[in-house]
Amino acid sequence: MGRLRAFVPFLVLAVVLAIAPIALPVNLVNMGVYALIYGLAAIGLSLLMGLAGQVSLGHAAFFAVGAYTQAILVTKTQVPGILAAVLAVAASMLVALVVGLPLLRLRGHFLALATLGLGIIVAVVARELEVTGGTSGIFGIPKPSFLGRIYDSPQEYFWLLAPFVVIGLWLAQRLVHSRTGRALGAVNDSEVAAECLGVNTYALRVRVFVLAAGYAGLAGVFYAHWLAVVSPEAAGFELSVTLLLMVVLGGLGTVWGAVIGAVAVEALDEGMRSFIPKLIPGASGEVQLLGFGIVLVLLVVLLPGGLAQLWARVTRRRGIAVATAAVSRAEHDGNDAAMEYSGLQALSRLLAQADVTESGSPLLSIRGLTMRYGGVTALGDIDLDVRAGEIFALIGPNGAGKTTAFNIITGVLEPTAGTVTLRGTDVQGRRPHVIATLGATRTFQNLQVFGSTTVLGNVKVARHLRSRSGIFRGMLGLAGREEREIEDWARTAVAALGLTEHADQRVTDLAFGQQRKVEVARALALAPALLLLDEPMAGLSGTERDSLAWLLRRVRSAGISVLLVEHDVDAVMALADRVAVLDDGRLIALGEPEDVRANPAVIAAYLGTDADDDALVRAAAARPVPA
Amino acid sequence: MMSDLLQLVWSGLALGAVYGLVALGFVAIFSVREIVNLAQGEYASLAGLSAISAVAAGVPLLFAVVVVVPFVVAVSVAVERVAVRPVRHMTPLVSIILTLGISTALKAAMLLFWGPEAKALPDFPGKDFVFAGVSVRSQELWILGVAAVVSYAVIAFYEHTTAGKALRACAEQPIAARLLGISPRTATMVAFAIAGFTGAAAGVVGSPIYLSSWSSGLTLGLKGFVAATLGGLVSFRVAMLGGLLLGVLESLAAGYGATGYRDAVAFVVLLVVLLIRPRGLALKPTGVRV
Repeated sequence: MGRLRAFVPFLVLAVVLAIAPIALPVNLVNMGVYALIYGLAAIGLSLLMGLAGQVSLGHAAFFAVGAYTQAILVTKTQVPGILAAVLAVAASMLVALVVGLPLLRLRGHFLALATLGLGIIVAVVARELEVTGGTSGIFGIPKPSFLGRIYDSPQEYFWLLAPFVVIGLWLAQRLVHSRTGRALGAVNDSEVAAECLGVNTYALRVRVFVLAAGYAGLAGVFYAHWLAVVSPEAAGFELSVTLLLMVVLGGLGTVWGAVIGAVAVEALDEGMRSFIPKLIPGASGEVQLLGFGIVLVLLVVLLPGGLAQLWARVTRRRGIAVATAAVSRAEHDGNDAAMEYSGLQALSRLLAQADVTESGSPLLSIRGLTMRYGGVTALGDIDLDVRAGEIFALIGPNGAGKTTAFNIITGVLEPTAGTVTLRGTDVQGRRPHVIATLGATRTFQNLQVFGSTTVLGNVKVARHLRSRSGIFRGMLGLAGREEREIEDWARTAVAALGLTEHADQRVTDLAFGQQRKVEVARALALAPALLLLDEPMAGLSGTERDSLAWLLRRVRSAGISVLLVEHDVDAVMALADRVAVLDDGRLIALGEPEDVRANPAVIAAYLGTDADDDALVRAAAARPVPA
Repeated sequence: MMSDLLQLVWSGLALGAVYGLVALGFVAIFSVREIVNLAQGEYASLAGLSAISAVAAGVPLLFAVVVVVPFVVAVSVAVERVAVRPVRHMTPLVSIILTLGISTALKAAMLLFWGPEAKALPDFPGKDFVFAGVSVRSQELWILGVAAVVSYAVIAFYEHTTAGKALRACAEQPIAARLLGISPRTATMVAFAIAGFTGAAAGVVGSPIYLSSWSSGLTLGLKGFVAATLGGLVSFRVAMLGGLLLGVLESLAAGYGATGYRDAVAFVVLLVVLLIRPRGLALKPTGVRV
C-alpha cells in the first residue's frame, strides 16, 4: 500500500504533463519545453546539492558538453541520433568524473568556485575550437524523429520530453531513499559519524557528481535538438545561475523541488522579460537576471527551504496527524520493550555477523602513540593492546587524552607519531571509513546523531557496510530484499537498547540519554569486531546503566571487543576485564580492575585533581568487585 | 624580443594589480566572516560605471573618483545590512547562494541603468612615455601606485591596529571576541566596507584601460578570487602577489598566441593550486580550516 502511494504523485505528474500540451496555449507549451529541459538538468543539480551537499556553480558546463557532443555527432557524422545521445550523456559524465576526482576532495567554498571556473573554461574552449564552431556555435541540428514521427512542434517536443522528466524524477527520488541516499543524508548531518560507520563520503560524492552531470548532459541533448543551435552561451554563467535558482527555489533536499522550481523560474523569466522593458523603456539583454538575483536573496533570507518549505507549512496539519498515528503505533509496540526471546535470538544473530578473531588474540595494538598540538602534548608515547573478546576501559581525569586516543584509533585525527594496528593492518592516519571497514566503529562523547532522520533511520545507516546495492540498483528499485534485511537488523539493534517505542520518532526529539543509546544501537548494528564507546553511560538512569552493562557483557560473549571511555568509575570497574588509566596524556596504570584500583599513582591522579569528587575517591578506594 | 617580453610583463603587472585589489576585498571579508563574497567583482564595475556617468555629467575626473568610492563602500555596507545580516545559519553553501544572488541582482541592475556596452573612464592625469623599450602608460603607473597604497593601508589596518586585529579575532574566536566587547556584526560591516573600498579602487583605476560594463564584474571577481585563493583566502600579501602573477601569466598567454584562452589561464591556475595546496600558497600555516 505504501509502495503504491509513492506512485501517486508521479502518476499525477504524468497525467498533467500529458494533458498540458493540449490544454495550454502554444506560447505556454513552448515555455513548458524549456522548463522541462532545464528541469531535467536541475534534478541532477538538486541531487548534488541536496543529497551530496555540494554546490556546482558551473553546472551549465556539463549541459554544454552534452549539447555540443550531440550537435557535433548529428551534424558532422553519420551516428544515429539515439546512439549520439547516449554518447553525449557519457561525455558529460566522463568530464564530470575527470574533474570530480580531484575537485571533490575540496570543501565548501573552494569546490563551488572551482566548478565556476570549470564553466568558464568550457565556454572558452567552445569559443576557441574549430570543431565547436567558434563564437557562432553549431547550427542546423535537425529535429528528432522516431518511428516516422517528427517532433518539431512545441506540443510534440513536450510529449517527447515529458517521459524523460517523469522517469528521471522517479529515479532520483528512488536514489534519495536508497542505501546511497541514506548514507549521503547521514553525511550531511554528521560527516564524521557517517564515516565512522563506514561511509566513504568522497567516493559517494564523486558518483553523485557524475550522475548529476549525466542529467545535465541529457538536458543538453534535448536543448540542442530543440534550439537547432548550440553556442558558447550553453556553458554560460547565466544558465548555471538559472539552474541553481531552480533548485533553491524548489527547495534543497527535495528532487520534486527541481521540477517545480524549473517551471516557476521559467515563468519568472518570461514575466521579467516582458515586464521590465515596460517598466524601464529601452531595457534589453539579460534583464530577467535582476529578478533571479532578488529572488535568490529573498529565498535565502526569508524562505531557505524554498517552495517545499511553503508546501510543508500549508500541509502541516496533515503532517501532525500522520506523526500522531506513528507515535500511537510506536506506543503499542512499546508493550514488548522488555526483550523477548525472539528479540534475543535476533540480537545473537546480529552479533554473530561480527568478523571476530579467536578470543584473547590481539585485535588492536597501539605503539608509541603521540599527539601534540603546538607545544601541548595531548598524548605522550602510549602503548596498549586490546584483545579479542574483552571489555577494555580507558579512564582518567578530564583532559587526560582519552577522547584524543579514540579519535586517533578511529581515524578522526592523525597522530603526530606512533602506530595503530587493527587486525594486523596499520591504520594510523587512514580515513575513518577504512577503519570501519576493518571492523571498528564508535560512539561520540559529543553526540553525533543524524538529526534529519528517525531513530531507525540513524541505525539503518550503520548497515551501510553490511549491504551492497549501489547507485543503479538503488535508482531502479532492485534492492527491495536488501532494504527489508537492513530494516530487520536495524530494528534488532534498536530493540537491544530498549528503544523500540521510539524507533519511528525523530532522533532529535529524544532526551540526551536516549540519543546516546541511539548511538550505541547504531554502532552495534554494524556488528563490529571492536566497539568503541565514548562515555556511553552519561545521562542514563541507574536501571538504564544496568541494562547497558548487561548488553555489553552479551556483546563480549559474542567475541566482540569493547573499548570504553567512561567517567562512572564504579560501573567501569564492575564491567571491564582490564583498565588503563591516562593522566595528562601519559599511561599511568594498566591491568585488571583491582590492581589498578590499588595503584598509588592512580589514587594520586584522582585525588590530586579534585578531592571533593567523591565518586572518584570511592572508586580509588578498595572495594569488593560486584558480581 | 626581450623588449616584447618586458612589455608583456609590464602590462601584465598593471592588469594583475587590478586583480590584486579585488582579491584584497575577498580576503578582507573571508578573514572576518568566512564568507566568499561573489559580489566583489560587481563593486569594481559599479565604481567604474558610476565614475563614467559622473564625468559625462561634467564632474571633474578626480572629484568623481572621490565621490564614487564612498558610494560603492555604502553599497557594500548596505549589502551586508540588507542581505547578509538577516541570515541566521550561514553555511558555506548558503553564503555562496546568497552572494551569488546579490551579484546577479547588481549585475542586472547595472545592465538596466547603463545598458550593455562597455565604456571607459578617461585616463587619469599624466603623460605616457617609453622606458627601456617598454611603453609605459601613465594610467598603468596610477594602477600600480593605487594598488601599492591600498594594500599597504589594508595590511597596516588588519595587522597593526587594535581594531584590525579585533576583526580577525572574530573569525578565529567568535566567543572570545564577543567577551572582549567586539561585536561580530560591527566587524562584518567594517569588513564589507573595506571590501567595497578595495573593489571600488580597482574599478576606478582599471576602467580607463580595461573598460567597465555590467558584466565585467564576473570575470574580474573570479580572477580576484583565484588570486585570493593563492593566499588561502586569508593572506593579503599573497593575494596581491597572486593577482600580479595572474596578470602577468594572462598577458604572456595573450602575447604568445593564445589570446582567446586568456580568460581560462586564471582557472587553470586555480585548479592546479587547489589540487596541489588546498590551503593556498601562503608560507605560514594560516590555521583557517578549509
